[in-house]
Amino acid sequence: MTHIPPESGLWYNKCVDLLTVTVAARESAGEPYTLVEIAGEADVTNTEELRRLLDSEVSEEPRMLIIDLSGLRFMDSSALHALLRVNRSLDRHGGVLALVSPQPAVAKILRLTTADRLIPVFDTVADAAAG
Amino acid sequence: MPGPGISRRAARAPLRRWAGSAGVSFVPMAWNPRYAAAGPPSTGPVSGPLPWPTRADMPYNYTTDLAAVRAIVQRYAVQAGLPENRAIDLVLAVSEVAANTVRHAKSPGSLKIWYDANEIVCQIHDEGIIHDPLAGRRRPPVDAMGGHGLWIVHQVCDEVEMVSDETGTTIRLHMKLPGHR
Repeated sequence: MTHIPPESGLWYNKCVDLLTVTVAARESAGEPYTLVEIAGEADVTNTEELRRLLDSEVSEEPRMLIIDLSGLRFMDSSALHALLRVNRSLDRHGGVLALVSPQPAVAKILRLTTADRLIPVFDTVADAAAG
Repeated sequence: MPGPGISRRAARAPLRRWAGSAGVSFVPMAWNPRYAAAGPPSTGPVSGPLPWPTRADMPYNYTTDLAAVRAIVQRYAVQAGLPENRAIDLVLAVSEVAANTVRHAKSPGSLKIWYDANEIVCQIHDEGIIHDPLAGRRRPPVDAMGGHGLWIVHQVCDEVEMVSDETGTTIRLHMKLPGHR
C-alpha cells in the first residue's frame, strides 16, 4: 500500500554537506508519485546519508519514485550505486524508478555504466510522471 | 615547455611507461628503485617521464574534501585547454581515484597535476594497496554494487598508469590535449 502523507507538498529539505535532498509527494492524473530532488555534488563522502534518505523513501513502497537530477552537478560511482540500490528495491515490490534531467557529468556516468538502460531517464518530471 | 626528462626530480623517480595494450600498464615494481636494477622490460619505455609539477599548490593533499579535489582538477583542465567534455571525464576519473583513498587508505592522499602542450596528467598517491593487477580492467555488471570506480577511470582516460606496492599506490591519469603531437 502506498503511503501518502496528508498534506501534499514539501516533506523535508535536508542538507548533507554539499548535497541537498528534497522530497515531495506529488500526483499526476490521479496517480501518486514521490519526487526526490537531489542537488549539489554526490560522492563517497555523502553516499551513506543519501542512501539513508533514499531508503526511507523506498520503505514507503511508492508505486513511482522520480528522482530529479537537474540540480546535481556531480555524481560518482558510489552515489550511482545508491540509485541502483533504489531501483532494485523498488523493482522487488513492483515500483518504478525514473531519473530526470541529468547534467552532462551525471549523464556521462549513467551512460558509461549503462545504468541509463536499466533506469529510464526523462527530460522533465512531467514526462517521467506520464511514464 | 620543458621537454621530457629535463627535470632532475623526474629523473630520480620516473614512473615508466611501457608499450602495452591500449596504452595501459601495470608496472608494480618499476616504481620502486630497489627493483630498477632488474632493468626495463624488453619492450622498453615508449616515452620519457614528464617533469614534476613545480607549482606552489602542488601536491594538493586531501582527506575527505573531494569537492575541492574536483574543483582543482577542473581549474587545471580549463587552464590546460582540455575541452569541456573531456574535463568532465578527467574530473570524474580523479574523483573516483580519490574516493578510493577515502574508502580504503587510512591516510590522506596527494594530488599533483601538470601539463604540457600535449597532455594533462593527474597523479594521485595514497597509502592504500591495490592487489589486483587487473583492477578496473574488467567491466562490472551494470547492477553490481561496487567496482565501477576504477573501471570508469580506465574508460574515460587516454592512458592510466598504476603502481602499487607495500608503500602505497600511485595512479597517473593522462588526457591528450587538442592538437597534441
